[in-house]
Amino acid sequence: MIELVSESRCIQCDKCVKVCPTNVFDAVPGNNPVIARAEDCQTCFLCEAYCPADALYVDARAYEHSGLSEDDLLERNLFGAYRKNLGWAKGGNPIDSLKRIQELRELVGSPF
Amino acid sequence: MSRLNSAGLVLEADVLVVGGGPAAAWAAIAAQERGATVVVADKGYLGTSGAYAASTSGHKVLPPISLLRDPVKFERYALGGYLAQHKWWDRLLEITYDRAPRIWEWGGYEIPAFDRSGSYRGLQGSETMRILRKVLLQRGIKILDQSPALELLVDEEGTVAGARGLQRQTDTSWTVRAGSTVLANGGVAWLSKALGCNTNTGDGALMAVEVGGELSGMEFSAHYSPAPKHSSVTKSAYYLYASYYDKEGNKIEGLNRNGHRSTSAIAKELLKGPVFVQLDKGTEKPETREMLRLMQPNFFAAFDKTGIDPFEQKWEITLLLEGTVRGTGGIRIADDECGTTVRGLYAAGDAASRELNCGGFTGGAGPNMTWAIGSGNIAGRAAADFARSLGRSSSRRNVRGAGSVGLEAVRPTEQTWDAASIVRGVQDEVFPYDKNIFRSEKTLLESLAKLEEFWKTIQGTPLQDTAQHFIRSREVAGLVATARWSYYAGLQRTETRGMHKRLDFPQTDPSQRHYLAVGGLDKLWTRPVPVAEEVVEVPEEKAKLQLA
Repeated sequence: MIELVSESRCIQCDKCVKVCPTNVFDAVPGNNPVIARAEDCQTCFLCEAYCPADALYVDARAYEHSGLSEDDLLERNLFGAYRKNLGWAKGGNPIDSLKRIQELRELVGSPF
Repeated sequence: MSRLNSAGLVLEADVLVVGGGPAAAWAAIAAQERGATVVVADKGYLGTSGAYAASTSGHKVLPPISLLRDPVKFERYALGGYLAQHKWWDRLLEITYDRAPRIWEWGGYEIPAFDRSGSYRGLQGSETMRILRKVLLQRGIKILDQSPALELLVDEEGTVAGARGLQRQTDTSWTVRAGSTVLANGGVAWLSKALGCNTNTGDGALMAVEVGGELSGMEFSAHYSPAPKHSSVTKSAYYLYASYYDKEGNKIEGLNRNGHRSTSAIAKELLKGPVFVQLDKGTEKPETREMLRLMQPNFFAAFDKTGIDPFEQKWEITLLLEGTVRGTGGIRIADDECGTTVRGLYAAGDAASRELNCGGFTGGAGPNMTWAIGSGNIAGRAAADFARSLGRSSSRRNVRGAGSVGLEAVRPTEQTWDAASIVRGVQDEVFPYDKNIFRSEKTLLESLAKLEEFWKTIQGTPLQDTAQHFIRSREVAGLVATARWSYYAGLQRTETRGMHKRLDFPQTDPSQRHYLAVGGLDKLWTRPVPVAEEVVEVPEEKAKLQLA
C-alpha cells in the first residue's frame, strides 16, 4: 500500500490526488499532498506510475506498512522504478520494450 | 439524500456514460462519433480506474480469417458450459479488429506487424487508458473524475434519464440529465484488493436492478487468481512456469493442468496449509527471464519491491477473489445492441454479463478485453441512437432519483450501521474457498441467511457525515446486494457448469443449458433464459489448432 510521499522530492503538482482511483490522497494548499486514507489504497501502483517527480512509493504489501524509509528506498533504487518499467520515465518509451520482447520471443519462444 | 438534492453541478447530454475503464471510454467515443453529446462520470479517474488500467489484459486483434478466429471462439466454449454465442463472438472480434488498432494511431505509434498467430501484442493497460483519455478530451467529451454515480434518474414512464452522484473531493453533487445512459462501471470483487478491482463494488448492478433491470450469470462469480500472499498482484499467466511446494519444501504436483493453474486444485491445497511457488520450470535462460519481465512489469513489481527473485526463490501464495471482474455475471443484455430490460439503459464491459462471449468461464487474458471494446462500441452507438429518437423533449422530462438502500434510511434507526463490519461480514461469506469455490445447498443457504441479515441492517440509517462515508455506505449496499444475487443464482443452478461448482451436483445437467436471470431487492427471483443458439460442435481440426 501507499507508503510515503517524499518530503524532498514532491513538487506539489497534486497529480496523485487527481489520478488515485480510490481517492487516498488529500491536497493541502501550499504543501505536499497527504496520505489521508491509506486503508483505501488498493495497491495498484498507478500513483507511482503517474508521479512526475518519482516522489511516491507504494509497497507490494497490501495490508501493512513496509517500514521502509526514504533512505532505504534510495538505496534499493525503488523510487520511480515501476514508472521506468512502464516506459513512462523521462526519455523512456512504452513501445521500446515491445520491440525487445519481439526479439526475445524469436530467440526463446513465448507461450502467448 | 440531502447531499444529492443540493444544488451542485447540473449538466445535460444526449448520452451519459458511467465508468472509467476501456468499455466506458469506447462507449463515449462511439456515442460521440454517432453524433451525440457525451458526459462520462467515473468514481475514480478515467485512466487509472478499474481492473484493466492496473493489470493489463492482452487481446487478439485478428483479421477476418476463420483459421485465426475460430480457435479463439472455441478455446473456452466447452469450459464455459456452451453458454457463449458464436454470433456474438463474430461481432466482437470484428469490432476489435476494426477499433483496437486506432489506439496505436491515437497514441502516435506505428501499428505493429502481425505475428505468426495473426495477432499483435497490446500496449500496457495504463498506456492504453492514457491514450483513450487523451482522445476523449481532444473530442470535447466532458469527463467528471472522482465523481461516483450513486443513483439513476428515471422519468414518469420508468425510462432511465441520467444519473446523479457526488464529486467526492469537493463534496458537491452532480446531476446529468441524459437521453440515455450506459453503465460501464465494472463488476464486483468485494474489495478483495485484487489488482485494480477495488473501484468495482457492484454499483452498476444495484443501480440497474433499482430501476427494474435484471442480471445474468451471477452464479459465475467465483473467479480467483493466485497472488503473492499479502500482495494485490493477481497476474496469473506466469504460473505456467510454476512449481508448487509445501512448507517443508516438498513439491506439490497436480496444481497446474494442461499448462494452466487449476484454481480449485490450488484452493484445495490452501485449505490444507500454506503453498509456495517458484517460477523454475523452463525459465533457466536469461533471455526468457528478460522477456517475462518486459511483458508484465506489474507482475514483477510485487517481487522487486519486496526483494524477492521469483525465479530463484520460493514465495507464499494466496488466491484473491476477482468476483465478476474476471468471472462473468452482470447486468443482463436483453437485445443485440447491449440494451438492458430497461428503456434508455445500456450496459457494457464488466458491468454487463459477459456470458455472451465467455459463457460461465473466465474471460481473463483476452476475451474480457474483446468484450470491453466490443460491448463499449455497441452500447455507445445504440445509446446515441436512442437519445436521438427521444428528440429535444427528453431534457424536459420529470425525473426522480431511483436509489434507495445505502443512500437513505429505508427504515430509520437511531444508530447508523457500521459499514466496515458489514464489509467484513460480506467478505467472510464470499472470500472463503470452501464457501465460494466449492458450493453446496447447505453452504449457500447458510451464507444467504447471513447476507439477508446484512441486507436488513443496511435498510437502517446510513452514516453520511462526510462525502467519503456517504459514498461508502452506498458501496456497501452494492457489495451486499451482489453477494446475495450471486449466491441466490448459485443456489438455483443445481448443476456444475463453468466456474460454478456444486459439490452436491457435480455433473453438468444438459437441461440447464440456459442463462439464469436474477433480480429483486428485498425478494430475490431467478428465471431461466434460453441461449439463442444451438450448441456448435467443436470441429476436430479446430480442437487441434487450439492445442497447438
